[in-house]
Amino acid sequence: MSLLTMILKMGEGLGKTCAIFFLTLLFSLPLGMVVALLRMSKNKVISAITRFFINILRGTPLMLQLLAVTYGPYYLFGISVSRNKLIPVVIAFAINYAAYFAEIYRGGIESIPTGQYEAAEVLGYSRFQTFMRIILPQVVKRIMPSITNEVVTLVKDTSLAFTVSYQEMFTIGKQIANSQTSFLPFVVAGVFYYIFNLIVDRVMGRVEKRLNYYK
Amino acid sequence: MKKILVLFMALVMLTALTGCSSGKDSGSKSADKKKFIMGIDPEYPPFSYLGDDGKYTGFDVEVCQAACDYLGWDLEIFAVNWDEKLIQLDSNECDCVWSGMTILDSMKEAGYIISKPYYDNTQVLVVKDDSGFNSSADLAGKLVAVQLGTSGEALLNGDLADLAATFGDVITADSFLKCFTELAGNAVDAVFVDMPVAADYVAKNAGYRIIDEQLGAEQYGIAFRSRDEELAKQIEDAVAALVENGTYAKIAEKEDYSEIVNNLIFLND
Amino acid sequence: MSENNTKASRESCPILEIKGLQKSFNDLAVLRDISLSVEPGNVVSIIGPSGSGKSTLLRCAAFLETAEKGDILYDGKYALRDGVYAEKAELNRFRTLFGMVFQNFNLFPHYSVMKNICEPPILRGEIKAEVEERALGLLKKMGLEGRENAYPYQLSGGQQQRVAIARALALNPEILFFDEPTSALDPELTGEVLKVIRQLADDHMTMVVVTHEMAFARAISNRVIFMDGGYIIEEGDPEEVFGNPKKERTKRFLSNYNQ
Repeated sequence: MSLLTMILKMGEGLGKTCAIFFLTLLFSLPLGMVVALLRMSKNKVISAITRFFINILRGTPLMLQLLAVTYGPYYLFGISVSRNKLIPVVIAFAINYAAYFAEIYRGGIESIPTGQYEAAEVLGYSRFQTFMRIILPQVVKRIMPSITNEVVTLVKDTSLAFTVSYQEMFTIGKQIANSQTSFLPFVVAGVFYYIFNLIVDRVMGRVEKRLNYYK
Repeated sequence: MKKILVLFMALVMLTALTGCSSGKDSGSKSADKKKFIMGIDPEYPPFSYLGDDGKYTGFDVEVCQAACDYLGWDLEIFAVNWDEKLIQLDSNECDCVWSGMTILDSMKEAGYIISKPYYDNTQVLVVKDDSGFNSSADLAGKLVAVQLGTSGEALLNGDLADLAATFGDVITADSFLKCFTELAGNAVDAVFVDMPVAADYVAKNAGYRIIDEQLGAEQYGIAFRSRDEELAKQIEDAVAALVENGTYAKIAEKEDYSEIVNNLIFLND
Repeated sequence: MSENNTKASRESCPILEIKGLQKSFNDLAVLRDISLSVEPGNVVSIIGPSGSGKSTLLRCAAFLETAEKGDILYDGKYALRDGVYAEKAELNRFRTLFGMVFQNFNLFPHYSVMKNICEPPILRGEIKAEVEERALGLLKKMGLEGRENAYPYQLSGGQQQRVAIARALALNPEILFFDEPTSALDPELTGEVLKVIRQLADDHMTMVVVTHEMAFARAISNRVIFMDGGYIIEEGDPEEVFGNPKKERTKRFLSNYNQ
């Protein structure tokens, strides 16, 4: 197999890698905010339960969570395993990343001085307006570097989808490596991930720059 | 683009370096007993698997242990990552791969020393009892699971590519357990798997059957590094001696190996 | 008393009236039985040592702290009655009556000067063009002409506090609270802020000012309140309180300050 065929074949899987990546971000970024708000709830029970789940999601390997989401329903309730593996993969990724994002959001929200809330209250902003207009934009700027870190990790984590037999780029790479008894597909995979993250880095850098209009 | 090139070069050099730095242990003559490291897939019963007592066992493991006893060597078992087994062999993590391994032409072409085949294997399709599939043709357009890095997968990409093309899709899972879980959970319609593994699974789990159609006959052997010619010969001679003195047959007669005993080449010659 | 207060009757009642206010943090009593009233057009200064409760009093008046006992009335209507607050919608109506200037400015860093000033009135439903025109006028008054597109970080502390004052004024409050408006500023910048407040006093803006600037308080106030330990110790005409304090604690506090 020529290097070009190899790259083309793995490139096919890259679409699925991208699907995991973008769908995970699409769901986990807002879900993380919901989790963060639950975590900061004044209701101690809600806060404690949320904290418990965050700890489980951050304290166990993503690989196990993938297995649990994909095969758990079958073993526990006899529900058929999904034929489209993208569904359980994205569910597991989105939940896992939401837990990480939630803690980042929480840190960001708690870092905003109370004076901002007080000023907004006196100026007649509703609680929702205060959050959306005053707090959130400042939080986004503060947490951008941490979010970038997670996004870069996500690119690499997509390779874990192979544990539930989702045919993304790295799984195909492993298949080729095996059938060709060659290390080259791993090199190709490394280059793919590197380029992917190079793009992520550029995009996030641009976003951060955009937010640099104030300090 | 330049950065990528540099990275690529670095990776290539790294690969080359690991290749160069090998070759220290196998030939060393020490006063101690020689240590022989056997590379196995720990999830491939009955050839090699983690026994109930938490130790690796299986037909291949027992034969290797007997061979090492015969040679007066210490046996160490190393569980390889099956789809990277040859890379691990190259990097001296083990001295051989001996674990129901299908002999592929590509291995010989890559320079590995492959022992005489000791087992004749056949691939079959496992389906659910009530599925109504009776031949590989019935599975046209259906989903079939195969374990990554197994001979079954290699066959579907090679000699049986035409058959694979008739399937709806081929799903590669990284263990047999997952292949069969996919089947149990109705995520796939059949599992393409080695005959003995299929027989073992069907015997232990109700509700499954093997489609009576032998696909892609193949043989098992032991892989050694290209420079370990002497080592390969020592092991092969030792196994031959075990066959001669009956130890081999004694192992094969065990209840655990009833599924494979008929396919063992040395006992049927 | 009729519900539809005429302008004449409104002027007769104080804009802000506080009666028997009590507030504690955990077990520490910060306000013990505070009463005061602010008449329209008056400037009331509150002085006193740190921890005397003067900021807490102001924050209670602005609903930023919850009082436990007493009454708070705006324009003769109860916002707090015997330790029970009015309903949320009612409180929001009261909020439109006062403005607040904080020690740390609390400008929104991601908004330009103009947006800081204009967004609150626009969110209240005012017409954008009108608000912007008013904002430009206020900026001119604050000596910040031409800085409308600057961001807070590009301004000095004194300029930021003047923007904060403009922001509060843009909502046309009936009464303006200042919580130590110059305490976070470098000494050379306090003058420009005090000058603006003095100007507001000259325009008969009703204000309550918590401050450590004694000379300033003496110069602009109609009335001075000296607080210590959660009590109002002494209150009256600035010349009286500063020139001839009656209570020993007031004397001691002022003499410490004059050293």
